[in-house]
Amino acid sequence: MSASLDKGVRVLKEVIDAPIASYFNSCVHCGLCAEACLFYTETGDPKYTPIHKLEPLRRLYEQEYTLLGRAKKALGLSKPVTDAELAEWQELVYNSCTLCGRCSVVCPVGNDIVYMVRKFREGMSASGNAPEGIKGAANRTVTLGSPMGVKLPAVKAQMRHVEDDTGIPIPLDVEGAEYMVMLSSMEIINFPEYLGAIAKIMQQAGKTWTLCSTAFEATNAGMQIGNSDLARVIVSRIVDGAERLKVKTVISPECGHAYTALRWEGANLVGRPFTFEVKHIIEVLGEFQAAGLLKTEGKETDRLTFHDPCQLARRGGVIQQQRSLMNQVAANFVEMPDAGFMNWCCGGGGGASAIEEGEELRLEAFKKKKSQLDAVKPDRLVTACANCRIVLEEGLEHYQMDIPVIGLTEMIAEHIPEQGA
Amino acid sequence: MAIQNDRDFKAALTALEVPQQRALAAQFVRRVQGLSGDPRVLTAVELAARAAFGTVTEAELALAAQAANTARVESFTQCGKETDWTAQAGHFVAKAAVACVRPAAEAAKNTESLAWDAAMQARMARTCQTVAEGSGTDNPEAIEQYRLLEALLNS
Repeated sequence: MSASLDKGVRVLKEVIDAPIASYFNSCVHCGLCAEACLFYTETGDPKYTPIHKLEPLRRLYEQEYTLLGRAKKALGLSKPVTDAELAEWQELVYNSCTLCGRCSVVCPVGNDIVYMVRKFREGMSASGNAPEGIKGAANRTVTLGSPMGVKLPAVKAQMRHVEDDTGIPIPLDVEGAEYMVMLSSMEIINFPEYLGAIAKIMQQAGKTWTLCSTAFEATNAGMQIGNSDLARVIVSRIVDGAERLKVKTVISPECGHAYTALRWEGANLVGRPFTFEVKHIIEVLGEFQAAGLLKTEGKETDRLTFHDPCQLARRGGVIQQQRSLMNQVAANFVEMPDAGFMNWCCGGGGGASAIEEGEELRLEAFKKKKSQLDAVKPDRLVTACANCRIVLEEGLEHYQMDIPVIGLTEMIAEHIPEQGA
Repeated sequence: MAIQNDRDFKAALTALEVPQQRALAAQFVRRVQGLSGDPRVLTAVELAARAAFGTVTEAELALAAQAANTARVESFTQCGKETDWTAQAGHFVAKAAVACVRPAAEAAKNTESLAWDAAMQARMARTCQTVAEGSGTDNPEAIEQYRLLEALLNS
């Protein structure tokens, strides 16, 4: 056994906890999880059945923690987990799983398959079997503080651009501000208009807010690669920044896994309750709307539909707010089939979009989104995740579907009257 | 007429006829075009530059916009990839080029004028270049764009 495999197997044994043991024992092999996974439905290949993606972990559980499995192992009757097998499983655990959680919610016995995949990724990562694309992102997070290598000077350059664009100052390191706004690398690099939208919305709502020079990056590569230590380091940076600035609320950006990492797992990762609240930007906009602080004018008249990011809607339970916001600025908002809680993933979440060798499969899986869109034929597609946005654009381009994609926060901001107008 | 700030700049751009906007937007993009080596971008900018002479059809614009949009989508920096700010500058040049040739019907739906959109994307391209070079946050594009607009208004 190689040193890396030894380490990986050791980690896998450690991550098998009571929930995972009960999940493996509870599985009734019904196959419902297969029908819930777009990688299975769009390829028809049974290897993409979600529970099958965990087969090496299941065998290890059996061999190490069950009486019969131990006996078989002692007699040499069980198949050991090998380096070659883990390498083969990389495609199943990373490329073809976006951690979208659809399999978990259809499981009739309540197995949280996403939880299991994430635990499996811990061992894959420890054994060196994570994809190069995700490894690179994780390494940059450690060395530079950002999975895409974004440093503070780049953020300052974008701030300057947005200030020129909107005429609104972008606050940095303001102690005592009500909100600390996080950004994903994707927004800094590809969608600077998101920051401009925040500036306009906050100005109109009369709220104080700030960026944080030591914690501007929300993306959590630790979550994606399957490394809890790294995920903890990233969350700790945000906690330190928020506590230093004494903010009341940290706003997670239009990025799915950033939200899950900080909102739902952050406090457990750092081992103590936060001194501030964490909300997704869509939740904050929903609160502003309910309080009458979001005053818009005019409505989009073309046919719009909304793609629910999995981590926001299914894993995070934020479903009504985006619809209420859409209805405020869209006169012709239509829902795709399966919209909301059971929406289909864009195909690029959970780090999948960073895996170059997974592109062909991603585009194959995109046929599910295509069929949803074909059913309602929208003029434009709105979403609330920067990663979804790019994956959607690539899929639409590949299938030659002329449907522009826009961010919900930006669309709301476009309807805010210019100050003094 | 002298343009001193973005408020006046934006208002003056919005007041222009769409073909004039296209021609001016093409000038904005040409200033940063060297940051993109994509021929689809070049084609779009050349077409937009001809718009003021009334020799461009909506069908030509739609085709050019589609091609430039493909260049834009292909040049996104994907989630988790290491950022190449020089390449990212090319992405914003492509985005500016798309604005230049945006078909009139689509342009009419946008709250911002296409020339303003092109100007902002061209500035972003220059911003990316300054990040790549580590040369601070000074961006000369705004002042240069003011001068180009003044020249048009005073001609």
